[in-house]
Amino acid sequence: MEILKCSGVEKVFGKGGNQVTALNGIDFSMEKGEFVAVIGASGSGKSTLLHILGSVDKPTKGTVTIDGVDIGGLNATEAAVFRRRKVGLVYQFYNLIPTLTAEKNILMPMLLDKRRPDKEYFETIIKTLGIWDKMDSLPSQLSGGQQQRVAIARALIYRPAILLADEPTGNLDQKNSKEIVDLLKLSNRNLKQTILLITHDEKIALEADRIVTIEDGRIIADQRRR
Amino acid sequence: MWKNYSKSYIRNNPASGISIMAAAFVATMFLSLLCGTAYNFWVYEIEKITLEEGGWQGRIAGEIDSSDLAMIQNYANVDKAVINEELSAKGDTVVDIYFRNARTIYQDMPLISARLGAGNAAIQYHSLLLSRYLIHDPEDTDPPMLLTLYLVILVIVIVSLILIIRNSFELSMNARIHQLGIFSSIGATPGQIRICLLQEAAVLSILPIILGSLTGVLLSRGLLEAVNIFAADVSGRHQAAFRYHPAVYGFTIFSSVLTVLFSAWMPAWRLSRMTPLEAIRDKGGLQLKKKKHSRLLHMLFGMKGELAGNALRAQKKSLRISSLSLLLSFVGFSVMLCFTTLAAISTRYTYFDRYQDAWDVMITLKDTGISDFDLTRKLQEASGVRDVTVYQKAEAAAILPEEFLSSQLTAVGGLGAVAGIQSIDGHFQVNAPIIILDDGSFLKYCSQIGIEPSLDGAILLNRIWDSPHSNFRYKEYIPFVNASGDTASLYPASVPLNSAEGTEIPVLSYTQTMPLLREEYPNYALVHFLPVTLWEKISGRIGGAWPDSYIRIFSGGNADLADLNRLEKELLQLVGADYEAESENRVQERLSNDSMIEGMKMIFGAFCVLLAIIGIANVFSNTLGFLRQRKREFAQYMSVGLTPQEMRGIFCIEAFVTAGKPLLITLPLTVLFVQFAVTASYLDPAVFWSEAPVLPICLFAAAIALFVALAYYIGGKRLLRCDLNETLRNDALV
Repeated sequence: MEILKCSGVEKVFGKGGNQVTALNGIDFSMEKGEFVAVIGASGSGKSTLLHILGSVDKPTKGTVTIDGVDIGGLNATEAAVFRRRKVGLVYQFYNLIPTLTAEKNILMPMLLDKRRPDKEYFETIIKTLGIWDKMDSLPSQLSGGQQQRVAIARALIYRPAILLADEPTGNLDQKNSKEIVDLLKLSNRNLKQTILLITHDEKIALEADRIVTIEDGRIIADQRRR
Repeated sequence: MWKNYSKSYIRNNPASGISIMAAAFVATMFLSLLCGTAYNFWVYEIEKITLEEGGWQGRIAGEIDSSDLAMIQNYANVDKAVINEELSAKGDTVVDIYFRNARTIYQDMPLISARLGAGNAAIQYHSLLLSRYLIHDPEDTDPPMLLTLYLVILVIVIVSLILIIRNSFELSMNARIHQLGIFSSIGATPGQIRICLLQEAAVLSILPIILGSLTGVLLSRGLLEAVNIFAADVSGRHQAAFRYHPAVYGFTIFSSVLTVLFSAWMPAWRLSRMTPLEAIRDKGGLQLKKKKHSRLLHMLFGMKGELAGNALRAQKKSLRISSLSLLLSFVGFSVMLCFTTLAAISTRYTYFDRYQDAWDVMITLKDTGISDFDLTRKLQEASGVRDVTVYQKAEAAAILPEEFLSSQLTAVGGLGAVAGIQSIDGHFQVNAPIIILDDGSFLKYCSQIGIEPSLDGAILLNRIWDSPHSNFRYKEYIPFVNASGDTASLYPASVPLNSAEGTEIPVLSYTQTMPLLREEYPNYALVHFLPVTLWEKISGRIGGAWPDSYIRIFSGGNADLADLNRLEKELLQLVGADYEAESENRVQERLSNDSMIEGMKMIFGAFCVLLAIIGIANVFSNTLGFLRQRKREFAQYMSVGLTPQEMRGIFCIEAFVTAGKPLLITLPLTVLFVQFAVTASYLDPAVFWSEAPVLPICLFAAAIALFVALAYYIGGKRLLRCDLNETLRNDALV
């Protein structure tokens, strides 16, 4: 079942003579439960693609459909609700709310919807991610690896249609990096979570089912490994 | 979001919450103090005018019977019309009119007069009272603008105060765009973010606003009491009672709450114009949208100047509010000080210098005609008294044929050019105020001007202000009439002249010398001095006498305050046994006036200091907040090898520009205002500049520079202490 589809996506930054084309005609799709890694050099457009897929940025041209919804046609409120329910975002710099505890940070997407979290599912996530004893800590009291685990838990709490991770290991040491990738794989296998991982590290990309290579805003390779 | 986010944000960011609460409290307190005080001064002014001159707005005079009165009362916009018994005489009824909406008085009064068959000459407006409601004669090309000036200063200060609240929110909210971006990225809708920010703003500000506004009301009450204490010795002064209107409180609360809500709503609005990605990337750092080159700063300070210039330019928008508030308070401060100085000079020139030698003790006989006073001789015989003059004033009119005007007056353009009085059928109608002197004083006056002493006629003060060739501050006079007539005709002042018969009186002399009285005579009136015996013969036909009489007393020699106080007390005892009387003496009045001016200066000074504090607080908090936002920028500078000394250099340049800019803008504005005010008040500029409040203005400027420097010092110290690596790497606590 196709969960994501991009057709002719273009993104241009700047105006006039200062224009930079970050994405240039991206056609790409993902099946439900797939674990895809997007690799490319710095400035190739991979993060831009992820931001557009996560509806935190808008394409200049083209359409993006996630779980049957054309996200280009959503207004600001609809896009926010869509992100909350259908997309889980994980950033390199975690982007946790500094004044909230880890637990509140994780539950925030549900709380925004005034929904009670599934306690069993919440506990499964935090135990799987190994942060069950850090729930009362503020982000500043956590290590980088722990903060990233909290960010992944937050991305997973709503059982999103797709989890988008932008260099989630880019700010971590080797040990923590491996653990984070293992956790992503675990959630893909056990929870059937669809994952799109952006990385420039080919070794990490090799953990994915499929590797898409971007260069100068175009897909130059799409390699299925399993 | 309130329960899950805002509560913990407020708890974990006490500094930000406290600064917002403090700003809301302080700004609302000053706002409330200012509005309450301004309202009380305004009410007091109206009460004073109403007590002294009555609360009527329009007045109409003539042969008005009960049906005419009913017609006036039934006029749509008339609230009340009553006969003024004091001013009315037989065949000359004066009706005081009160309007429901006084704004249309200048249209309504001519219509009422026309319905009565009277001309515009029968109409009188209470211009002073009306001007306090900002109602001016549309045909008056030069209406009194003092109240407007006060209002402008008030508005400037109010805006400046409101900006304090706005700034404090702006700083706190801008720092949160990144956090709100994270919220947005995990699915918070714009509406949720907006509501969250508004809730936070309301929770942080409502209590400080209520407390601040109530404190302001109490302070304005205290201020009024202080004014009463300072002015306690001023003779005949109406005691100010504290008044407060719910609308003033409503305005204070409304403008504060509106500012708070608007300031909180702004970041949400800003956020709605960004994609969540842009918001997440907003680290509060500086971004120049266009390539700029700070030529002057680069030339003066090299690369450091360029960096400082670019940083200031990148923050132009947020600094604009702080510059504006500083500018407003500095302009308000300087203008208010200059205005106070001008007012003090003006009072001194117009009153004390002019009447210094015209009296020692004055007694006002309440509701007593000069004919009813019979203690003149006793007063003259009292010990320590050199001279006594008892006098009463009355209003009358005169009709002057064109050929009766002096050649000098005709030469400067006649009454039309000098006083704006137009002739009707070759005749001018002019005011002819009457000063009725006791007989002894009138005879002395005859001797003073060199004529045979006589009680059988009047002496005319034959002068008119040559307004085209001199200003009101340094008036020059020319003869009013050609001084050839042996008789003069007086008419009741309030009756249309075509329906009144004149009363002919003999003229003993025309003179330009006045008797020594503490009186100021109208500029374009033909003043008649009459002995009381003559007045008693003609008063029935002219009427218009003021209810009170006055006694001007000169003491025996160079009396000091104690002598005059003793003399005043003795004379008041003598007169007060039979008459209701009030007294004052020259030295005491001067001292009271000095103390009142001192008090006024203190109050205005306190007000100016308040303005200064507002401006400085604004610039301090803004500069500090501005630096707080720039941790990352300075870490970047340090990472490329800028030394702490060079960073301090950048701070100094920025402080120099931040403090210098508002000062450079304000000083020419103040000079322009002073130039305008000095010209408008016809003062000699040299007199003003010799007393100009240069020192306080310079001190204020120095204080601004000092506090900007202090803010940069504190902020810079904090910045230089931060961990470079941590700042560049970790954004968890942005």
